Order: sequence, then C-alpha cells, then structure tokens
Amino acid sequence: MAEEKKQPRIGVFVCHCGTNIAGSIDVKAVQEYARTLPGVIVADDYQYMCSTPGQTKIDNAIKENDLTGVVVAACSPRLHEPTFRTATKEGGLNPFRFEMANIREQDAWVHMHDNAGATAKAKDAIRIAVAKAALLEDLYPKSVPVEHAAMVVGAGVGGIQAALDLANAGIKTYLIDKLPTVGGRMSQLDKTFPTLDCSQCILTPKMVDVGRHPNIDLRTYTEVEAVEGYIGNFDITLRKKARGVLTPTEATEKGIVGGGCNGCGDCDAVCPVIKPNPFELGMKPRKAIYIYHPQVTPLIYTVDFDSCIKCGLCVEACGEKKAIDLDMADAFETVKVGTVILATGYDIFPIEKKREWGYKQFDNVITSLEFERLICASGPTGGHLIRPSDGQTPKKVAFVLCAGSRDNTGVGKPYCSRFCCMYSLKHAHQMMEKIPGCQPYIFYMDIRSFGKQYEEFYYRIQDEGAKFIRGRVANILEDAKTKDLHVYAEDTLLGQPVDLTVDLVVLAAAIEPTQGIDPVRKMFGVSCSQDGWMLEAHPKLNPCGTTTAGVFLAGVCQGPKDIPDTVAQAEGAASAASIPIHMGKVELEPYFAQCIEEKCAGCGMCVNLCPYSALALVEKDGKQVMQVTEAKCKGCGTCGGFCPGGAIYMQHFTTPQIVAQIDAFLLGGEE
Amino acid sequence: MHEYAFFLGCIAPNRYPGCEAAAIKTSRKLGIELLPLKGASCCPAPGAFGAVDLNVWYAMAARNIVLAEQMNKDITLICNGCYKSIYEVNERLKENDDLRDGVNEVLAEIDMEFKGSIDVYHLAELYYDPKICGVDKIRDSVTRPLTGTKIAVHYGCHLLKPIKERRFTDSENPMWIEELVDALGAESVQYRNKMQCCGAGGGVRGFDLAHSLDITNEKLINVTEVGADAITEVCPFCQLQYDRGQIEIKEKFGIEWALPVLHYNELLGLAQGMTPQELALDLHGIDCKPFLDKIR
Amino acid sequence: MAKGYNDPAMETRFQDRYYHSADNPEFTKEVERISRTIAHMCFQCGTCTGSCPSAPRSSYRIRKFVRRAVMGLEREALTDPDLWLCTTCYSCTDRCPRGIAPTDIIMAMRNLAFKWDIIPRNFLKTVQLIYTTGHGVPNNDVNRAARVKLGLEAEPETTHKYPEYIPGIQKIIDHYKMKENADRILAEGEH
Ligand code: SF4
Ligand code: SF4
Repeated sequence: MAEEKKQPRIGVFVCHCGTNIAGSIDVKAVQEYARTLPGVIVADDYQYMCSTPGQTKIDNAIKENDLTGVVVAACSPRLHEPTFRTATKEGGLNPFRFEMANIREQDAWVHMHDNAGATAKAKDAIRIAVAKAALLEDLYPKSVPVEHAAMVVGAGVGGIQAALDLANAGIKTYLIDKLPTVGGRMSQLDKTFPTLDCSQCILTPKMVDVGRHPNIDLRTYTEVEAVEGYIGNFDITLRKKARGVLTPTEATEKGIVGGGCNGCGDCDAVCPVIKPNPFELGMKPRKAIYIYHPQVTPLIYTVDFDSCIKCGLCVEACGEKKAIDLDMADAFETVKVGTVILATGYDIFPIEKKREWGYKQFDNVITSLEFERLICASGPTGGHLIRPSDGQTPKKVAFVLCAGSRDNTGVGKPYCSRFCCMYSLKHAHQMMEKIPGCQPYIFYMDIRSFGKQYEEFYYRIQDEGAKFIRGRVANILEDAKTKDLHVYAEDTLLGQPVDLTVDLVVLAAAIEPTQGIDPVRKMFGVSCSQDGWMLEAHPKLNPCGTTTAGVFLAGVCQGPKDIPDTVAQAEGAASAASIPIHMGKVELEPYFAQCIEEKCAGCGMCVNLCPYSALALVEKDGKQVMQVTEAKCKGCGTCGGFCPGGAIYMQHFTTPQIVAQIDAFLLGGEE
Repeated sequence: MHEYAFFLGCIAPNRYPGCEAAAIKTSRKLGIELLPLKGASCCPAPGAFGAVDLNVWYAMAARNIVLAEQMNKDITLICNGCYKSIYEVNERLKENDDLRDGVNEVLAEIDMEFKGSIDVYHLAELYYDPKICGVDKIRDSVTRPLTGTKIAVHYGCHLLKPIKERRFTDSENPMWIEELVDALGAESVQYRNKMQCCGAGGGVRGFDLAHSLDITNEKLINVTEVGADAITEVCPFCQLQYDRGQIEIKEKFGIEWALPVLHYNELLGLAQGMTPQELALDLHGIDCKPFLDKIR
Repeated sequence: MAKGYNDPAMETRFQDRYYHSADNPEFTKEVERISRTIAHMCFQCGTCTGSCPSAPRSSYRIRKFVRRAVMGLEREALTDPDLWLCTTCYSCTDRCPRGIAPTDIIMAMRNLAFKWDIIPRNFLKTVQLIYTTGHGVPNNDVNRAARVKLGLEAEPETTHKYPEYIPGIQKIIDHYKMKENADRILAEGEH
C-alpha cells in the first residue's frame, strides 16, 4: 500500500466480439471516447480481443506505453477475466491491474434494438472501469495447502462412481449416505435402458467395491451435520445415526470378540413390529430391525427406532454376537477433506397432487417406480406384474408420460425429467416380454430418445407392438365395480378424443430434488436454480463445479439425467475434485479484507458479522485488533461496509476505488 | 348477524322463486341476513352474453357490483353463473388497472364508479366457512333430517373453475358440498365424472339443445347408476338444465328420467322444516314427491 | 394458381384449396388481447380436447381452435360453427399444462366472430332481452303468481321492480353498439 504512486497510464481495448458487440454498439465511437478519458494513454479496438492477436495488442501496449492499468471492454469477466489477466501479466504488469467492462451480456445483448442507448451505456461502463483502473494496486494471491482426502455425499450410482474414481486415484475418500446402504435409486430399478442390463447386476459389483476399497471410508446411515472451512480444508461434522447394531469392527473395539452383526437375520425373524417397506414403496412389509434390501452394502442390520418397541426379542435372538444395542445414540465425528462432491440424487414428485390422474384415489393407478418394483424378480411380487386392486395380471396398460413434468400449471414441474420417455419404453418392453397377449399404450407428447442407441430402442419397442398415442392424458376415471380405468386424452394425430379402458395405469411421475436436501446444500454454500436443482458454476463450461471452490456436483442433484449421464458427470466431478488434491495447494484470489491496525478499535463487531467465520480478535502490541484468516475470507465486504472506524480495507474493492467508480458514473459522461 | 347484499340473478327469482325464498329464510336461521340489492340486473350471463362482447360483460357486471359498493356490503349469491360474472369481474377489475379504467370510463356515463371496495361470495361458500357459519351450525339448524336419502352433488363449473381464479383449491374432486349435504342427515354419494359440466353453459343450451342435453343425459346415467334419490346443486341454471332437461330429453331422445333436482337451499329448507309449498317445489319440472316421501 | 385444365370441374377439384390460408398475425394478437391468455404458448398436447365434454359428441376440437389462434387462421376459426359448442366449463383451462385458458380463447373468438356478424340467434335474443328488461331470463305471469304465494313480491328486487335502472343499462350496452348490431344481424337474418 505504501509503494510510491505513479501517475496512472491506462490502456483501453474495446472488443467487437464479431457482431455480438459491434452489432449494437458503435465500437469506433466508444474507442474514441475512451481516448478522451483522464489517464487513458492508448485506446484500441479489435475483432476478438480474446484471440492471440488481441492479447498481443495488450502485451505490446503495456510495454510501449509503460501502462499502469489495463481495461478491456468485452464480455463478462466470468468468461475472460482470467484470459486478460494473463495478457496483462505477459506485458509485465501485475495481473490485478486489469479491469473489465462488460459491454456484451449487460449491454449489447440486452439493448439489441437500441444502438444509441447501448453505445452510451458502453461509454459509461468504460468510464467507470477506467476510474477503477487508475486506482488498482499490485496484489499477490495466497496459496493454502490441500488436505489429501475427499468426501462424496450420497452413495447412489453417481456417488459410488465418483468415490471409486477418487479412491483409485489414491485419494482417501469418505463416502456417506443417509440410508443404511449404498446403491441409491438405481438399486430400486429392475433393468436399465437401452441395453436392458439388470440394474442390480451391474450396480452390485460397484457397491461391493466401495465396501472394500482400502481408500474408501464408507459411512452409511450418516448425514452431514455441519460444514466449516474452505477449499483444501473443509472440516465436516458427520452425524452417524444410531443404527442400534454393531459392526464386527465396532464389536471388537468394545471387546466383544467374534461379535457384531454378520447379517444372519435371526433378529428379523423374531421382531414383532411390522411396517411398510420404503424400499418396496410400501408394497411389502418390513420389521423394525431390517436390512434395506437384499443386496445391502454393508450387510449390517439397522433398527428403525421410530417404530421399535424395545421388546428386546432381537437382542435375545442375536445371542452371543451381542450385535444389538437398543440404547445406541447418534454419534458425531469431524473429518477434514480437501474437496467435496455432492451426489444427493432425487425424489419422485408426489403425483397425487395432479388430482385428475387419480393416484392414491384409484388402486390401479401406480407410478413408474412402483412398476419397477412390481416387474423386478426380487420385488414384492417376485416379478409378477399385478393390478393392486385384485392381484390379476394386467393385459392392457396405459403409460402416462410427462406426468407432472413439462407442467406450467404451478402444480407440477416446468422441466423435462429426461428419463421417463426411455424407461416407459423399457416398461412396455418388459411387460410384453412377460405377459403374452398384453398391450401397452404409451400416451406421449414427444418421445425424447436423444441418447446413444435410444432412438433405436424406440424403434425396437414400437416394432415389438407398443402403441403410441400422441396426446397428454386429460384425466382418468375408475369403473367403481371392475376397478378398470378409463383414460381420457386426445389422439392429436387423428384429432379424436380417446376413452381407453385399461387394467392398469402407470404414471411416469416427474422427479424433484431430494426432500430435505436444502440445509445440506446451504451448508456447502451451493445455490440452486429456479427449479430447485443445485446450480453448477457454468452450465456449459463448468458443469461439475459450483460457486463454492472445492465443492462439485454429480448426477441428478444438479438436474435430471439418466444413468450414463450421471456416471459421466460423476467421473468429471471426481476428476475436478482430485485436481486441487493432487496439486497439493490452491491459490486463492487475493480479495481479502485487511485490518488497518492503527484504526482498529478492537470492538470485535465485525467478527460476528462475517458469514464465513474468517475474522477473530487477537492481541497485538498490547491492544486488541481484528485478524483475518485469509483463506476463509471470500471478500464479500460485509465487515468492510460495517466497520465504524473504517479500519477494514477490502483488497481490490477498496473504498477509494468504489467511490471513484460511483463518481465516474454520476459526475462523468457526455453532456 | 352477517349481512350481505343478495344478488339474485335471473333464473332463481324468475323460474325457481323457491330458491330465493329458501335462501333468505334458511340463511336467517344461520345468522346470515340477505339484504335486497335493488336495481340489479342479469349478472350478465358469462357465456350467452359474454360471448357477444366481453367489454359489455365487464361493464354490466361492474354496475351490479357498484350497487353493492354503494350499500357498503359484500355480495352473496346462489348461482354459479352469477358467481363467475360477479366474482371474477370484481377480482379482475381490482387487479388490472387497464380493465378497471376502461370499465370506469363507461360507468362514468351513468355516474357510477367501480372502487373495488367489496368482496363476492357464493352462499354455499359462506355456509361452509366456519368463521361465518360452518358445517356444525348447519347440522344444528336441522329439524327434519333427510335421513335415508342418497344425494348426488353437482358442483357446477363456474363455482370452481378456472381454479386459478378462485379461492378454492380443488376442482378435480372437491368434497365440501358433500359435507354440507351430509350435515342435513342425507347420505352424499360419489359418482363417475362428478365434475363434468351439466351441458347448459356457454350458450350451448340455446345454440344446440340436443348437444347440450346429451351431456346432461350422460350425467343422469352416472348419477342414477349409484342409486341417487336426487341431485343437488348450487346453481339454478344447472338446476334448470337437469330439471327441465329431463323433460326435453324425453321429448328429444325418448328416454324417461324422474330424478328430482333440488338446489342446496331447497334441501336445506326442507331439512329446516320448510314445506314443499313454501319452497314452490311444484314449479319444478320433475316431481319431487318420491324424494319427499323418503324423508317423511 | 390456375392450372389451365380444359375441364372446369377438374379445375375446381384441384384448386389446391387445402393449403393453410394466409395467416393473419393480427388475429393472434387480438385473440390474446381479448382473452388475456397466452395462446401462443400452446404445444398441442390435446389435454384440452381430452377434457372437453363437447369433443366426444361433435367435431369440435378446442385444441384446433387454439392452433388457429397461434397460426392466425382467422377465417378458419371464425367461420367454423363448432366455435359455438364450448360450454365454458373451463375443464381445459384447469388442466392445460401450459397454463393457457383455452376457454377464454373461444370467448375471444366469439367476440371477434360477432364483429364479422357471425353469431347464433340465441345469443342475440339474450342481448335484446337484457336490453329491454335487464334480465336474460325475465319474469312471467306463472312465476309472478308463484312468488306471491311464497310471500315474495311479484317482481324481484331487480330491474323488474325498479325499471328506473334500465336506462343506465341501455347506456352501457349502447356505448358498445351491441344492441344496434344485434338488431341489425337478426333483421338481416330474417330474409
Ligand atoms: S391443453 Fe393447453 S397446451 Fe395442450 S393443446 Fe390445449 S391449449 Fe394447447
Ligand atoms: S371450456 Fe369449452 S372447450 Fe374447454 S373443455 Fe369446457 S366445453 Fe370444452
């Protein structure tokens, strides 16, 4: 701060961005205007400033004119700030002596039909940027060490894949899931499209792998309780929910030699409490001591303390293994990781809210996930598709696509859930395979078979005999006596109303973010888009990252996607999450708050205000002063704006810089 | 006493005066006083009149609303068609400056101004609202329970739809009028496609009577299938369609129905001890006697 | 396009009349203005027709009318007699996944048809009745007698009992020349 000040010498570069900018802004006029601004030594323009010749212009101009600051008026800094900082550095200046004026997204694109207005606004933006550039200072990024460990939250197929990739790359990985097993939604599915592999068969090996990988610390029945820290150094507190059952390791730790749960199921046999089984969507009973499904990893029983009556019969049945502890309480542990991947998946939209389709009013209206369980050999009916009302085999089945998706009524979801078309085709295939003489009818608006081999799958199912009716289902009525269903729609291709009597209706219900995930999302500082899904850092160029450095996304939690896309994104997220860990250190943008100790009164009010717990009071030279943990500070400015003594200095966003920008806007300009 | 300006509409006072008389008498027993809304006109009919020129529909409905504004009373009414015109125009004019300004320009010619100072309710809605009346109060007012009768409820379209422009939450399978019916000691019954239109609206009754009756006939099939002794509704126009419609169906299609059709206020009147004469049930096209015999 | 066929019958038969007629974007705008609904957002799913009580008993397809609104097919829309088969039950409106009110599109089209002098007589009769009495369904003698028996006054507390309100109503209707046009269309229809 104390370095001697040179008179500002600024170079301004205006980008045409092809016609993106030049189409609505008079670039020449803007460039000439820039030359008249105080401190501007050189002003230039170019077709594409981000190209090599564009960057060379900056490089040369700095050297030729001994510039102290550079302004580029172009697109959003989110896109090219790093590019131009590098160019500034190439020219021999500190990269933080660069300032960007966004005249594309915030100007040319929004004022496409008002050239004069857009040009005037561009001039304003440049004048403001020049005012700041005149006051920019040299800054130096800090680097912090990165913990050689990662965490994956959610152990569905996405979480499993991400954890395996990280672990295989030599990184210690905590894989946690709120359920007592890994596997997620995919383990509820029977077969997968378009290959028709058995879902369990391809998933189980991976489940087993995460269970025994030396680099994976698997924590099921565990939730995130609290998150502190920042990239490289997250301190995450986990709540290990009371499972009521000891693993062999835990038993040994307690001195019960040879004890702990071996998955024998003796307890299950004696437990008198019967509850609906959530894995089977309530279509099968479950005891108060249970395994979530037959392929659970780890194979450890769990007590559902919400329904357990503590009769102790299971404890007796378990005998010498002494695996059951009905007094177990939740346990907490804090672990340190460098990066985190969220893979928290989705839930089914409560489709009973769409009253016109009668789910939960009519017995024989089911959801697609229920269909999966009913057609699955390990499901509640042993793979026999039945009508819930009478157990009969349905012959005519209607599949209702876009049930609650692409719905702007305010009840459903405006987005496409992206995999319903394909699994409904698969369902049609499965029933035709199992039930001779059956007839599936698929009510659709569009068949979205966009993936590899998907269109071919559509062709195949049509060839196998599924009938497609292009029309969204208007409503469904039940015949009170037979419990058959009347499906009403319009066959829009014929322009004829349809009243189709069927034995069973399968609603391809929309999906939505996992219930109760919001607090977790917020703990990691991740935003969500309007539709509730977690927000990626950039929809195209950074689809795995988030705005919180070191936190990445995998799978449906970021938006609806099928298994191949989920796995691909999981691998991408794992790769992205491993980079800082392998680098061993990360550079932090030097936008830290700094304490001007002479001015600090030690009141400490800023300490509580900081949303990132980056501030503390320390004793220095016999007085209390504030101290910033730079790695935690995100440069939000809350403290700086508040400090009554003006003792907090926000690097790169200093009060004089901001005041100069405001002055330039309010006082400058033509006329 | 809760006081409301009573908007009559056309069909209740001019075809089924028993509905009007019953509404006034039954409500008084429930602590609701219905005051005359002097000089009101047709709501005007949302379909048959609105189809010609919605501008006039807005302005004429607004005139009726202003009459109540001048009394400083909220409006209540007993017809779904009236509800659509009066409730919806009131809400739309309150929300949209452009609509309101347009309407007020015309109303100025007759020295009136829409201010948006009152609310509009269907009487059935007030009966169900525990803050005003509530199901319990209805039940307590019953002196001659309708025990042993099965009653099918026809909600009608304009009471609940479009649902986004209503206070109600469910237009696919509501049950609150059933609760009001059960409170009279009767048994409400569910039938197929309960929410389907009676067939009368939109000017279709006048434009293509056979078409409109075919819709009515479908409803009658569904209602009789579950053994209903009567249909009840909260709209004299639906009542007309079901009641006179059965006679017209006989004429046009040769099918004979004899299903009594009673406005909820007529049912309530019976349950509160009013005689069929006091309700002018003899004006109904379909004889209500089989139903009356059941409750004797 | 004249094809130069020698046979006039063939010329008529193959006059390519099954193309879309030229669209009128103003029609789309007018329909949206009057209906206050977003007709242009229709994606032709057919939920409306599937919900429509008039569809299974006629050739009326509400979806097609919405399509005509979107494409500006004014003549097709306004001259199709099916336009008058909507019962205004609003089932389509409650279920449309795009949040459109197809019913109000029909109402707007009927208003526009009236401007083309296309309107069934019963609508015009209602206009005349309301103009003269204030009521679409006015009182009659049988009813008056019944009212008196019930202890009500023979005339209800409406424009029937207070005819001094009728001129005000007529002013409103005349402001839009509604009665005038109704009379004219009815008279023209007489011959
Ligand atoms: S329901 Fe709505 S979106 Fe679907 S066809 Fe009808 S108007 Fe269009
Ligand atoms: S409002 Fe009209 S178009 Fe819509 S469903 Fe009812 S009758 Fe059909």
